Amino acid sequence: MSANLSTRTFRPYTGEKARIARAYDYLVLVLALFLFIGSFHLHFALTVGDWDFWVDWKDRQWWPAVTPLIGITFPAAVQAVLWTNFRLPLGATLCVACLSIGTWIARIFAYHLWNYFPINMVLPSTMLPSALVLDVVLMLSNSLTVTAIFGGSAFALLFYPSNWPIFGMFHVPVEAGNSQLTVADMFGFQYIRTGMPEYLRIIERGTLRTYGQVAAPLSAFFSALLCTLMYTLWWHIGKWFATTRYLKRI
Amino acid sequence: MKSTAQNQTYTRPMAFRIPIKGQQQLASNWLLFLGLILSIYMLTLQPVMAHGEKNLEPYVRMRTIQWYDVQWSKQKFNVNDEVTVTGKFHVAEDWPISVPKPDAAFLNISTPGPVLIRTERYLNGKPYMNSVALQPGGDYDFKVVLKGRLPGHYHIHPFFNLRDAGQVMGPGAWLDIAGNEADFTNNVQTINGEMVNMETYGLGNGIFWHSFWALLGTAWLLWWVRRPLFIARYRMLQAGLENELVTPLDRNIGKAILIGVPVLVFAFYTMTVNKYPKAIPLQASLDQILPLSAQVNAGVVDVETLRAEYRIPERAMKLSLKIKNGSDKPIQIGEFATGSVRFLNKAVPVPEQSNTESVVAPEGLSLDNPAPIQPGEQRTVSMTASDALWESERLDGLINDADSRIGGLVFFFDPEGERYVSSITAAVIPKFN
Repeated sequence: MSANLSTRTFRPYTGEKARIARAYDYLVLVLALFLFIGSFHLHFALTVGDWDFWVDWKDRQWWPAVTPLIGITFPAAVQAVLWTNFRLPLGATLCVACLSIGTWIARIFAYHLWNYFPINMVLPSTMLPSALVLDVVLMLSNSLTVTAIFGGSAFALLFYPSNWPIFGMFHVPVEAGNSQLTVADMFGFQYIRTGMPEYLRIIERGTLRTYGQVAAPLSAFFSALLCTLMYTLWWHIGKWFATTRYLKRI
Repeated sequence: MKSTAQNQTYTRPMAFRIPIKGQQQLASNWLLFLGLILSIYMLTLQPVMAHGEKNLEPYVRMRTIQWYDVQWSKQKFNVNDEVTVTGKFHVAEDWPISVPKPDAAFLNISTPGPVLIRTERYLNGKPYMNSVALQPGGDYDFKVVLKGRLPGHYHIHPFFNLRDAGQVMGPGAWLDIAGNEADFTNNVQTINGEMVNMETYGLGNGIFWHSFWALLGTAWLLWWVRRPLFIARYRMLQAGLENELVTPLDRNIGKAILIGVPVLVFAFYTMTVNKYPKAIPLQASLDQILPLSAQVNAGVVDVETLRAEYRIPERAMKLSLKIKNGSDKPIQIGEFATGSVRFLNKAVPVPEQSNTESVVAPEGLSLDNPAPIQPGEQRTVSMTASDALWESERLDGLINDADSRIGGLVFFFDPEGERYVSSITAAVIPKFN
């Protein structure tokens, strides 16, 4: 198809061709919705895992470093496909929205109704603000390099502040057992997790806190640096996996 | 012109043909068979009652946390009622080389989800919230206060999560929680004095923020999805009409998002910081609690294990013990406990652990010389712990372990009921006939 198209000879589809093309749009969208809900959610659960599952894992060092780093993977790959072939700047938002749907389904049905945890203990984080910015950076720049550097960095840097309105209140201090805890820590102590002893939490470990005791911003910048690399890597993975060879006859 | 070979049609010999009717019959028979298998499977389904009590290798269960005197305050109670589990444990001196030292251990409760909540926990009388470092050879007593949350009939154990080792279960009990789930309350007071309901705290706020961003995200998606998408856009892109695919209005909206979203994010962040100025990081310290003064191997009765043989056909562990009674009264061996299995000497009255489901062999312990060991006497005793429990509790796997040493507690009693506890350990020699 592509070889024969030119600006001068191009005629948009009309009539039945247009209707079929639109039906194809909806078909792909529905399939993509289920595909990304399943695959991105699975990918996220297996990699970010407990940092996103539990309120008492959302610390200042690991959570803001790991979550955007893993969260930018599918958005980068899907952006590569949708932008390169269709100039659709919605890959990141679509992926993250699907992830949110999958996550909420799992938290309500698996964690709350099946395993009895209160939903507030397993509230997911959001990456939608980061995804929106990533999409518009790509749209406005039309550049992999610019999007990787500025979009990838923004994706990571916006993560912690956009989630603090959700999780800040869980960091209010509580006195319990002759010690100071957060409300989030109290959830971990009170709501019994047989397979999740407290020592398994990978939180507040590392040396980022030693720089002026401001761990979260440093962690976010560290994640931003890694996200620029991760974005580029997954952009190429997306391009590698995607092909339009079957569209040549259209 | 087609070749001869192409013109020939392969015909399957009659012997291999199955008529259509026969194929249907075969398929229905297969379906019937599969249905039968499924029915048998469904009819034999049983609820799972185990918590992995027998999962770990015997040497880990025998030579790490040695539980005793575990008691529950009650077994029937209502939602919101508190129940307490108390008990003691000895941390084995002969800690297995392949198990990391208990530098981080977590006293936990095995439950099918948070059907109870843990409100308090004490080790040696001291409250603690996080994980704790234990000392091999140390003695500890514990208390955990739980509160009924969901009605039901549950099998519950206290147990220790040991870092990089697994779960060492203590004796379990069946608990019945009655009442109404909706009546459950769990209020916690913050340092500021605010009382928060842990069941709902932050839920509405979380849903609000997720909905807010979901609304913006959905609007962005719909902005693009409302137009022809894949085939139409692909054709236009290939035709060089890229500028028509992203319009100036799209770009202006993009610029608004690029500026507006970060501004909103940092505005909401600042509002939250101002609202919760005393927020602190998650707490991740390791609690340090010293062991009690010696309760096991307290120096009154000394026991040295000379030899341990496991007789496979008899399912019996025969231990040769050199015992010195340093007390001022005669003593007798009343119990040998290992891996949460208790072998009792029926000749000696042993205090009951009324409501725990200790796995007990009531007549499982015998001695070659049952006469009491007199004050100051040193005697070598052959003690045999025999019962099918070695097999059913999967402790006999010890002989196949990489570390085939046994550990356990021997309980001595004097005529007045005073108890002396000794921890023993030895390599096990299997006897196959």
